[in-house]
Amino acid sequence: MKGYRHTFVFAFIICVVCSVVLSALYEGLRPRIERNADVEVKRNILKSVQLAQPLAANATDQECLTTYKEKIEELVVDEKGNIQPGMKPSDIREGIKGMYPLYVYKENGVVKAYAYPISGSGLWSIIFGYLAIEPDAVTVRGITFYKDGETPGLGGEIQKDWFQNNFRGKKIWSEKDQKLTPIALVKGQVKDFYQDERVNYHVDGITAATLTCKGVTAFLDRWIKMYEPFFSKLRET
Amino acid sequence: MSAPVPQNQVVVKEALLSKGNQKIFKDGLWDNNPISYQVMGICSALAVTTAVSTGLVMSIGLVFVLGCSEAIISSIRRYIPARIRIIVQIAVVSAFVIALDLVLKAYFYAVSKQLSVFVGLIITNTLVMARLEGFSMHNPPWKSFLDGVGNALGYGLALTAVASIRELFGAGTLLGFHVIPQAAYESGYINNGLMVLSPGAFFVLGLIIWGHRSIAKFVEGK
Repeated sequence: MKGYRHTFVFAFIICVVCSVVLSALYEGLRPRIERNADVEVKRNILKSVQLAQPLAANATDQECLTTYKEKIEELVVDEKGNIQPGMKPSDIREGIKGMYPLYVYKENGVVKAYAYPISGSGLWSIIFGYLAIEPDAVTVRGITFYKDGETPGLGGEIQKDWFQNNFRGKKIWSEKDQKLTPIALVKGQVKDFYQDERVNYHVDGITAATLTCKGVTAFLDRWIKMYEPFFSKLRET
Repeated sequence: MSAPVPQNQVVVKEALLSKGNQKIFKDGLWDNNPISYQVMGICSALAVTTAVSTGLVMSIGLVFVLGCSEAIISSIRRYIPARIRIIVQIAVVSAFVIALDLVLKAYFYAVSKQLSVFVGLIITNTLVMARLEGFSMHNPPWKSFLDGVGNALGYGLALTAVASIRELFGAGTLLGFHVIPQAAYESGYINNGLMVLSPGAFFVLGLIIWGHRSIAKFVEGK
């Protein structure tokens, strides 16, 4: 019996010590961790909207926050595409449905782009990013993926510039057919599949990352449709 | 599993870097290298070696985790109930891994983003379990710490070697800098796609194990 008692007491002590130490460490580091995450999000919004004077890759957190404050206006739209006056993205708490954050990039008071968050499952993980649309409500201005747990070197390539740059200038709306055309990734190079106007809404996929690409296509479809009420209004005016 | 270590239990004061302790350190680094000699921790060696930078940070992380957890486990080794020793080892390792992850997130955000899931995977590294069970359960803390750091560095050495070859031939870069000149690409050179994929790591690892063993004149026992 003595053996059992020792075992339980020992296990208990180990658990308590480990959890206390880790909780204390986390609490101590939390302000820094949260600040880093916040700056990362803002950095990505700034990157997706393709600033006229892009932020340097080694820009400090402070520079990033200042630029963000200067250039980006935070708005909230509802599911019918109406801007909710007085609301900020940080007001969207869990449980509030049908409210979506929208980030407007303005240069000297003129709207240059609308950016919104996108996320969805890839192969292993949930991918997070931002999609920015030009004020014409048709053309993709930029896209970023900033957080994922995909295979490095394969699916993880979605975080690389060469991949993200392929989205620039693509169209989410077909003038010819008057319909929404969510961006899809193809297996290989677009030019091997389409020569006509469909080139406008297809993007080169990543070799050996077919499942990640499928996931990206699926959630782009979802998010582009979700924000369509807002952009269709924008297109009409 | 561990190489014979001179037992100095009678001599109370042993120099911190005595011959015996140096040997413990060097064993992990070279003579008893975890990757090429013990063939441990191969799974993570495949996963993080597509680029040198991730391999390097992974190695530094492992040095910290293995060194500290070996020291801790060794200092409580006389109290650990034999039945739950593996669980206790895992608990200690996980605590260090989570701590490492938090510190990276707070102070080296860019690096922690690159490593994403791999920091967590240190817990499952067979090398960690093997050294804890095989060495620190029977040796005093300082020796265990040396063993941990030595082994982790040995692991890092092999990892960096594999990563350099894979990044060079797979992407044409080293630490992100282009090494293979543009002219080579223009005259028809293409990156080797196999190197980026996991099977590529198997080939490179095999070559490295072969290379190291022939230099160290190591022959597998019967």
